[in-house]
Amino acid sequence: MPRIALILPDVVQEAGVRALLERYFATVEAESFDHPADIAGEGAAGGHFDGYVTDCETFTAHLDFFLPRRTQCLVLAGGGGRRSTAAHLGGSLGGGTSEAMPRVVGTAEPLEHLLEAMEHTLLPDRKRTEESGSDELSGREVQVLQLVVSGAINKEIADRLNISLNTVLTHRKNITAKLGIKTISGLTLYALMHGYISADASAL
Amino acid sequence: MGLLTTETPLSTALEQHPSLIPLVSRFGIRLGVGDKSVAAVCADHAIDERFMLVLMNTYLFENYFPEERLKSFHVSQIVDYLTKTNAYYQHSQLPNIERHLRSLIASGGGENPHLALIGRFFDQFKASLLASIAYDTQEWFPYCLSLTTENERPDHRPAQAPPAGETAGQLGDLRSILVRHLSGQYDDNLAYAVIFAIGSIERDIRQHNRIRNRILTPIIDALLCHESH
Repeated sequence: MPRIALILPDVVQEAGVRALLERYFATVEAESFDHPADIAGEGAAGGHFDGYVTDCETFTAHLDFFLPRRTQCLVLAGGGGRRSTAAHLGGSLGGGTSEAMPRVVGTAEPLEHLLEAMEHTLLPDRKRTEESGSDELSGREVQVLQLVVSGAINKEIADRLNISLNTVLTHRKNITAKLGIKTISGLTLYALMHGYISADASAL
Repeated sequence: MGLLTTETPLSTALEQHPSLIPLVSRFGIRLGVGDKSVAAVCADHAIDERFMLVLMNTYLFENYFPEERLKSFHVSQIVDYLTKTNAYYQHSQLPNIERHLRSLIASGGGENPHLALIGRFFDQFKASLLASIAYDTQEWFPYCLSLTTENERPDHRPAQAPPAGETAGQLGDLRSILVRHLSGQYDDNLAYAVIFAIGSIERDIRQHNRIRNRILTPIIDALLCHESH
């Protein structure tokens, strides 16, 4: 789940961005910070975010923090002056190509512009992530699935496959996540459809 | 659109949220509502406007669930509503899904084994939902009502209900299986009709279960606790 840091001193702006994230980017996890130093204080692991939403004043006042992360930043500018603000920020950054600039959007611009900018900045790796994911079950997961739908409890599955109980639970969690199926009867239907069990062996 | 109020024209609510139409019809309200407010329509039908309003808003907004207010309504109102939703599943939604599903299965021309399996899965779901409804109708709801009257009461609380969560889960699984794993020959429009109908009953059952498990059951528990002291 992408993590987004909100560094917006204006509480109304912060609430608005949060509401938009919840409405349109449900898969994003947002955390609010008063100051960029609070993020840096979380350490290397806790301090990593996939995107940063801030305002123009905060951005320019903390260039040392935002500069290395500028391509992950979405900067809100008052009014609809996206170009003039971008030019102003460009000056602060010493010029450079538009790809290396933070994305700026005016708060008076149409909502669709803001959503487009949010999507571009906050979900840049979506395509790659989707391509790398696979909903194919591994051989071991198929074995676990066959035992689950045969009625075996977790302990029996662990004994039969000579794996730990925790590993069984992990396999079951992965099976549900990959297939989007939660109930035993639903898993039985899936197993039948894919020939993992025979119709004779099932109650369906 | 924000929460509906008693002054909201019912026509506005139904035009913007057609999914409310089957809900208000459970109260005997039929289409052709004109431009009357929720309060005025409820008055015409002798319906408690506060009760219908809270149900409509609960149905529309998943995060809106005013437990205290819901618990302030009489057991008979809640049981009556849940009985009507059960009847709606049994006589409208299940036959509706079934009709579309049978057409979908037929669209495979007998050459898509997945469709037949899905039909059998639905039959299982239907049987478990009907068992759950029968339990409510014959045991649980009469017991709940008996606690609020002076009539003779049963000695024992009815045995545990069939697991409602499993029933709702089966619907979600059926939707996932159709969307993610269906293959072979089938009619696209019919598959969509089935998925749409499943989504509709799934949402309705989720709301039904919230009211049943988080409102009615705690009220009954509280009544029993009060009686035992």
